[in-house]
Amino acid sequence: MMRNVGIIGVGYTPIFVSKRKDVSIPEMISEAVDAGFRNTGLTPEDIDAVIFGNMQTFEGVNLPHLWAVEHIRALGKPVMRIATGGTTGMSAFHAGYYHVASGMADVVMVVTYEKHSEGDAQVGLMGIITPEVMTMLQAGIDVTGGSGMGAIGGGSAGGISFQAMSYLNHSGASIEHIDAMAAMERRNAAKNPYAHLKDPECTAEKIAETAMVSYPIRFGHICPTTDGSTVCILASEEKAAELADKVAWVWSVANCCSDATTGNLVDGMITDPAEQRPCMIAARQAYERAGIEDPKTEFDVIEIYNGFAHQTLMFLEKLGVCEVGEAHKLLEAGELEIEGRLPTNASGGVVSTNSIGTSALNRVTEAALQIMGKAEGGHQVPKDVHKALAHSWGGLMQYVAVTVLGDTPPRK
Amino acid sequence: MEETKVVTGAWELSTFKFRVEGEGLRLMLENMKDKKLVGTKCSKCGTVYIPGNFYCRKCHVKIDEQAEVSDHGTVMSYTVGYSDVRGNPLEEPRIAVEVKLDGGDTWIMGVMQECKPEDMEIGKRVKVKWNEVRSGSLQDMKAFIPE
Repeated sequence: MMRNVGIIGVGYTPIFVSKRKDVSIPEMISEAVDAGFRNTGLTPEDIDAVIFGNMQTFEGVNLPHLWAVEHIRALGKPVMRIATGGTTGMSAFHAGYYHVASGMADVVMVVTYEKHSEGDAQVGLMGIITPEVMTMLQAGIDVTGGSGMGAIGGGSAGGISFQAMSYLNHSGASIEHIDAMAAMERRNAAKNPYAHLKDPECTAEKIAETAMVSYPIRFGHICPTTDGSTVCILASEEKAAELADKVAWVWSVANCCSDATTGNLVDGMITDPAEQRPCMIAARQAYERAGIEDPKTEFDVIEIYNGFAHQTLMFLEKLGVCEVGEAHKLLEAGELEIEGRLPTNASGGVVSTNSIGTSALNRVTEAALQIMGKAEGGHQVPKDVHKALAHSWGGLMQYVAVTVLGDTPPRK
Repeated sequence: MEETKVVTGAWELSTFKFRVEGEGLRLMLENMKDKKLVGTKCSKCGTVYIPGNFYCRKCHVKIDEQAEVSDHGTVMSYTVGYSDVRGNPLEEPRIAVEVKLDGGDTWIMGVMQECKPEDMEIGKRVKVKWNEVRSGSLQDMKAFIPE
């Protein structure tokens, strides 16, 4: 029998920005760890195990968790590093959940970071997509570009633009909706002290003025590279009662993967990068485990992993929280705003802040803070949050993890 | 608002030596010399893979049946590139397409030529433009062009 698990605390670095030149990687991580202890009143003695996550290869350090072992206060304790691409933060959170739910630990600290300014995201991403490139070679795609069947655009924006185009075609949305989505999230980010690209006056028109990178993806639709670190502390029901005043309870976790090229070869179409069947499967499992009967009405807050602005809309549909072709209409109607019916990425989302190792964990911590009523700086939604959905996307475009949180412990 | 725009670094693939499973690709390339596109077909579910797969990714059974597909197909998705990987503007916008060839179930990527960006749409019918001289390489297929 699995035990109930609650989130009892969150810690962020004081800022999320392009370049933290004033601190080293372990020092920056330590800021978030300290914040986690400060916010909970816990001390390192309270922590049974530490789970660590960041993007593979981004800073060229293969064992960063062992480099930073003192800074994560893990000397003499079990430590495990998790790396699943963009989803890393949520996979690390899930590993923390497994530790506590299984009874192997009572209190676990999940630590994630990325310090892009000391690494090279382009080189890192190339390392990440190596299996994808190998699969493309097998699929007859000349990855050297230029001529023949070479059709890879620049960086991840190239591959993602096929996804955005297919999404627009299936949904009936237009590029102006992607502009408006990006603008809404940059405005939300302005209300989040832990966001990076903030623009309180951002409009769709302003986003539309940014350079077209690979149609329909503009520069304004794309996430930044951010330096930052996030910590999340999990506890068993018994320990949570002892240690915390506010708790966000884990109602379910689920994840699903597919093939290395575009992420859809499970039982449907083969190569539509917008199909994202693993997201549909993981969501279905998470809802079943959490007893969610109608995902369209039961969530009060949603956090979507969106490196690119069209993904907010696309994943809302894949998660089944609205009909296919409906997400852009919800956006138009203002329902996704902080004050709206279905507040989505009140935090500003990944498109505003992307210290990659933290990004998928931040979906969980932001959902948890909304439940606790502790979201700072004006992005707390103006209603009671009973259920929240956190989504993450990563791997080689084909790995999805989701988490359902609630304001009470799940009934057994 | 602080924006980030940094694209640096190199990916030295030559540092590593990867072995690519080439059987399906070799089957396709060999036949491309004769302007033929040959993949494989699952005898259980009928899915046609181009280039060929030798196990069915849907049924998980071994595939030993070959299948020729058409060099005509339908655009399933596309993008128009306006800059190179360093962010420099391209002289001419570059159209890249994902195409489902008639008779096949998988999509392949390619460059689109003889078509303006404003004339592109999902569902557009296209065909392969073959090179005059073909050597059994990926470059034998020069581009996709409107049907």
